[in-house]
Amino acid sequence: MLKNNIKILSLLIGLTTLLMPAIGHTKTVITWWNYSNEGSGLNNALKEEIEDRFNASQSEIELQIIFKGEDVNGPTRTALLAGAGPDIITSSGSTYVRAYYDGGFLKSLEPYAQKYGWKEKILPWAYNLGVFDGEFYSFPQNYESMIYFYNKTLFEENGWKLPTNLTEYENLAAEIKSKNMHPFAYGSSGWQPTHEHLAGNYFNTFAGPDNVYKALVGEKKWTDTEFVEALELLKKHMMDGYWSGSLENYYANDWDGFSAQITNREAAMMQIGTWGFEIMEGFKGSGDDWDWAPLTILSEDAGEPNYQLSIGGTMSINAASKNPDAAAEVLNWIISDKNRVLDFTAKRNYGEWLLPLKYEESDFSPSVDQRIRDYLVDFAKATGNGNYGYTTWTFYPANAGTHIWKDMESVWAGDISVVEFLAEQQKLWDKARDANELIPVGKR
Amino acid sequence: MKNIYSEKLVSWYFLSPILFIHFFVIALPSILSLALCFTDWNGFGKIQFIGFQNFTELFDDRVFKIAVWHNFIWTIFFLTVPIAIALLGAFILTGVKRFQLVYRFIFFFPYILASVVNCLIWKYLFHPKHGLHTFFEDLGINFFQNSLLTQKETSLLAVGFVDAWHFWGFLVVIYITAMYQVDDTLYEAAEIEGASKWQKFRYVTFPSIRPMFVFSILIIMIWSVPAFDYVYILTGGGPAYSSEVLANYLHFQAFRNMNVGYASAIGALMFIYVFIITGIFGLLRRLEWEF
Repeated sequence: MLKNNIKILSLLIGLTTLLMPAIGHTKTVITWWNYSNEGSGLNNALKEEIEDRFNASQSEIELQIIFKGEDVNGPTRTALLAGAGPDIITSSGSTYVRAYYDGGFLKSLEPYAQKYGWKEKILPWAYNLGVFDGEFYSFPQNYESMIYFYNKTLFEENGWKLPTNLTEYENLAAEIKSKNMHPFAYGSSGWQPTHEHLAGNYFNTFAGPDNVYKALVGEKKWTDTEFVEALELLKKHMMDGYWSGSLENYYANDWDGFSAQITNREAAMMQIGTWGFEIMEGFKGSGDDWDWAPLTILSEDAGEPNYQLSIGGTMSINAASKNPDAAAEVLNWIISDKNRVLDFTAKRNYGEWLLPLKYEESDFSPSVDQRIRDYLVDFAKATGNGNYGYTTWTFYPANAGTHIWKDMESVWAGDISVVEFLAEQQKLWDKARDANELIPVGKR
Repeated sequence: MKNIYSEKLVSWYFLSPILFIHFFVIALPSILSLALCFTDWNGFGKIQFIGFQNFTELFDDRVFKIAVWHNFIWTIFFLTVPIAIALLGAFILTGVKRFQLVYRFIFFFPYILASVVNCLIWKYLFHPKHGLHTFFEDLGINFFQNSLLTQKETSLLAVGFVDAWHFWGFLVVIYITAMYQVDDTLYEAAEIEGASKWQKFRYVTFPSIRPMFVFSILIIMIWSVPAFDYVYILTGGGPAYSSEVLANYLHFQAFRNMNVGYASAIGALMFIYVFIITGIFGLLRRLEWEF
C-alpha cells in the first residue's frame, strides 16, 4: 500500500514538474546566438547586462543569449542553411551580412527602423552599412577607428611631439630608434589580418580618404599612383623596422607581446584600433601615462586628419524567425538608452559593445576617462563633418578583403611588387563588382 | 528463412549500422563536396554550375602551386627525418632492459599532447625574446635571433620539425612493437655468425619489420596531404606563403574567402592524390610485392 502511494506521489510530482513550466510559461522566447569569450568575462557580462536586464524590464518576452564558441559564424551558417538558427543573428561584420543577405537569410528591418526611429539614433555611416537595395537589414554591435596611442610621459621626457607630416613622422621614428626603442609596438602572431590595419592606415593618411572612397565606388583604380606610393611607403617603413624592430619580430609578436612593448617603454607609440583602450589599462602602476591622437596625415592629398570608419560585429533578424516583432523589440531595447550602452561598453573597456549612436558630452558619466570621452565626442564631431576614412575589413568584399593582408606578406618579402599586388586587388574588386558582392559604402 | 540467417548475410547485419553511418556522415557529404567543385557556391547563397572553371583557375593559381610544392617537401621530410629517428630510437630501445616502459612513455608523450599545446610550447621556444635565443645568445650562438617560424627560408621546415617532434614517438611505438615480433633465434644465429649491430639491424630487424615499415610509409604519404593543424596554428601558412600547404589553403578559401566551390576543387584534387597513392599500394600488394 505504502509502496503504491509512493509511486503515485512520485508520478504526480514528476508530471507537475514537467507540466508546470508549460502551463505557466506564456512569454515569447527570443533566441540570440553570440560569440563566446569566457576568458574576458564577456559571457557573464552579456547575461547580466543585457539578458537579465531586458528580461526584468518587461514580462512579454524572454530573451535567451546562447554562446556558440569563439566563431559564431560557422554554427550560424550551418543553421541558416538548414532553415533554422536563432531569432537574432550575430555576424563578424559586413562581409557576412552581405553573404547572409544574398542568401535570403535576413529579415528586412526597414519597418522596425521606421517604427522605432533607428535612423535618427544610429550614426548615419553605420546605418548605411546595413542598407541593401534600399532596405535596412543589420546594425553594428560595435564601432572602431584607427588611432595613435603613445607613452605621454616618454614623449614629455624626450621633448618629442606627435608628427604632423611625413617628414616629422620619419624624423620622430629615427629619433625613437636612436634611443633603442621601436617607433611602434605591433605584431601579427595569432592574427595575420593585422597587416590590413597598416595598409588601411597608409591608404587613408597618404592616398587620402577621398581617393579611397573613389576606389571603393569604382571611380578610381587601386593601381593608381596614390595607392602604389602609399604601399611603397608602408613597405619602406616596415623594412626600416618601425614596427617591433624588424619584419621577423613583427611576425613573431602577439597581442600580449605588443601590449607589453608600449607599456614597458620598448616602443613609444602604437597605431591600432580603438580596441587598444583596453591595452592602456596596462599603464596602471607603470609610472607612465598615455594619451591618444588621430593618425598623422602623411601627404597633402590626404586632407584633414580623419577617423577611419569601422564596425565590429553586427545584429540582424533571421528571415525564418517566428517572432520577428519581439526580436525587433529586443534590438530596440538595446539601442534605446545611450547611458546604458555607455555603461556597458565602459565595462568592456570600449573595445566591445560600443554601439554607433549619436553620443554627446552630456551622455557620459563623470567617472568616464576624459581621454576616452574626448575620443568618442571628437569621433562623432569629425565624422559628422565628413572627415572620415575607410577600414579595409568593413568596406572590402570577401576576396579583396583577405587578399589585402594575406598577399601583403608577399610584397614585404619581395616576391611580388606593389604594382602586381594592387593589380590583383583591382581584379578582385572588378570581379566582386560584377557579381554585385560589394559592401554598401554610403555617399561621401 | 534459412537465407535470412545465412552466414554471409549475418556479417552484413553486423556491418550495417557502421555502413549506414559511414554513408550519411562520410560518403554522401564527400560526393556532394565533389559536386560542389563544379560550382561557384560561397557557402550561403545560390549554387551556380560553372563547369571546370575552378580547376582552370586552380592551375593558374600561384598560391596553389606553392602549396602543392610544400606538400611534396612535407611528405619527403616526414618520409625521412622522423622515420630515421624513430627506427634508430626503436632499435636502441629494444636493447634497453630496464625502465623500458618509462622510455616508451617519454617518447610517446608528445603524441598524446594536443597539437595546440605542442604548438604553443614551440612558438614560445622559437620566440626571439623569451625562447631558445636567450639561452643560446649567452653561448654566442645567434641562430635563434629571429623566430624560425617567421622567416621565409625556415618556416616550413620549422613547422615540419614541430609536427615531427610530436609524431616520431608514434612511429617509435609501432616500430618497437614490430621489432618485438622478430624471432630471437634469428638474432642468435646472427650473433654466432659474428654480425655487428648494424648488420643485425640491416639483415634481421629491418626485413622482419618491413610490413610495418611499408605501412608507416603509406600512412605518412596519406597523412601528409591533409596536414593542417600545425601550419594553421604556428604560421597560418606565412610568412608570404612560405609554409602554405594544401589543407590550410583549402580552409582559407572555404572559410575566409567564402569560395566553397573553389575549396572543394582543391579538396577533390587532394582526394584524387590520396586515391592514387592507396591504389598504387593496393596494386603492389596484388602483384604480390613483398610487404
